[in-house]
Amino acid sequence: MLAALGSMTIPLATALLLLLLRIRSGYWVILSSIASLICGGLALQTAMQDGTVHVALGDWSAPLGIRFEINMLSSLLLSYTALIHLLVAIYATRSRHSETRHSDYWPLSSLLHASLAALWLSRDLFNWYVTLELLGLGAVAMIALAGRHAYPAALRYLLLSLAGSLCYLLGVALLYGRYGALDIGLLGSMTVDDATTRIALLLITLGLMTKGALWPLHMWLPDAHSRAPTAVSALLSALVVKGPLFILWLVWSRIAPADFAISIGPLFAIAGILALIGGGWSALRTAWLKRLVAYSTVAQLGYALLALGLLLHWRSVTLSVALWLFVLAHGLAKVSLFLAAGEIQGTLGTKRVWALKGASQTMPVATFAFALAGCSLVGLPPSGGFVAKWVLLQPLLTEPGNWPWAVGVLLGTLASAGYVFRVLALTFNRAETNQPGHRPDLFAQWLAMLPALLVWAMALLSEPLIFWLTVVSDG
Amino acid sequence: MSQAALYLGLGMLLWALGLHGLCCQTHPMRRLIAINIMGSGVFMVLVTLATRGVAIDPLPHALVVTGLVVAVSATAFALRLATPGRQDMRKPEQR
Repeated sequence: MLAALGSMTIPLATALLLLLLRIRSGYWVILSSIASLICGGLALQTAMQDGTVHVALGDWSAPLGIRFEINMLSSLLLSYTALIHLLVAIYATRSRHSETRHSDYWPLSSLLHASLAALWLSRDLFNWYVTLELLGLGAVAMIALAGRHAYPAALRYLLLSLAGSLCYLLGVALLYGRYGALDIGLLGSMTVDDATTRIALLLITLGLMTKGALWPLHMWLPDAHSRAPTAVSALLSALVVKGPLFILWLVWSRIAPADFAISIGPLFAIAGILALIGGGWSALRTAWLKRLVAYSTVAQLGYALLALGLLLHWRSVTLSVALWLFVLAHGLAKVSLFLAAGEIQGTLGTKRVWALKGASQTMPVATFAFALAGCSLVGLPPSGGFVAKWVLLQPLLTEPGNWPWAVGVLLGTLASAGYVFRVLALTFNRAETNQPGHRPDLFAQWLAMLPALLVWAMALLSEPLIFWLTVVSDG
Repeated sequence: MSQAALYLGLGMLLWALGLHGLCCQTHPMRRLIAINIMGSGVFMVLVTLATRGVAIDPLPHALVVTGLVVAVSATAFALRLATPGRQDMRKPEQR
């Protein structure tokens, strides 16, 4: 219990200290992420032995107080957040193309880490609203670090994020008015299938979908994620959009009345498939490298949405395993993609996709990182993306009647393969090599490679991962 | 009770008006005002919900106070992003 709380409070304390002492150096953040990662690991170990632990904050019990729930999924997500933050922080301190070295990035990223950790632990609708707002404000502030040219994108993100929060908050208010509780566990035992509950759940869903950039409410994401500094784009795509997804999953699987969830499931699944196709198509067409990676986030969130929809429709536990495997694999792969893209952009001095010509010769390590991470997004074995897709496909393939969903997954895979190989094909075009302006930084390229290697290592760990996630989803 | 229903309805109406404004307006300042109207609507609904029982329920009040803090800080931040500051006006070519 202490370890999990430590994993949340260490980055919070770091953020406040950096702000108070006016330190803008990355080494403190790296240290605090390592400490937070160790705490997350300890929490995971404790959760494996003791199972789920409930913490009533300040000893106020459920109807009035705020409850934290520490289980294996929360601990796993805490460790995952700390790991991603650590990887990005090392890149941001070390790379010469990082635009965030001595900026306000450091306190902001620690604050983002802390608010996301609080989100993973909370089981209270209003506390989630607060963590969502902290997450959103932190993310917008980090996008604005890129300078004035990013302000319009940041403002658009902020306004839509606020509108999403207010949508969510109205839904929460309606639920509170109907049942007089905000705790997920209490609400889950009380909800009945009536009009108020349905409207409240729809409002909550719309708000969360806006904040999580789930199709069709993703319009703000490509601009915001591609304008941000490289390290920020990586954090936003790997972490920030996953928070609302987590809440959406808990709200629908724990609070929603069963009949309503079953009937709304296919809508989520269809939105997921459309996200895969639409996001993939836009990624194929765009002329800008980071925008391509950002559209790929929209597309990949489609898998999570598809898994969520089908798990609600079939009341199936295995599919929530697929959902969380997708989240973990996508986060690691996306960090690698953004860091590699940022490094290539910085070295070649242009943001266009066609500038990558000959990059397999001039920057082989970054290109290889892009390829490895991209293959995990496509789902080639033996990568983390493959394991996730395998778990998702199993129920689709065993039952002949489920073939339309399998076709959807196939189309999504095709689209991902399209945009990944579009980039890779260009990098092997040695006839018109685009020479870098200065010597490529090998160490920074390896830093971009590290998350890609980790996502491939996920395949080796797939058995314990699937086991842990199954245990969690049962509870 | 009908008074509570009136306030609830008005709160919802304000929220919907704000959402409509956000969707239809293009100027950042107008959109920001629309967001604030949406927020006021939600807070009105919450405050009305506090009066349902015999005794006043303090929890929605706490929620509204927290919500107000978030709304004020977010509005201040959005205003900074929406308006060019004095520093930026002086040297527009710098960034």
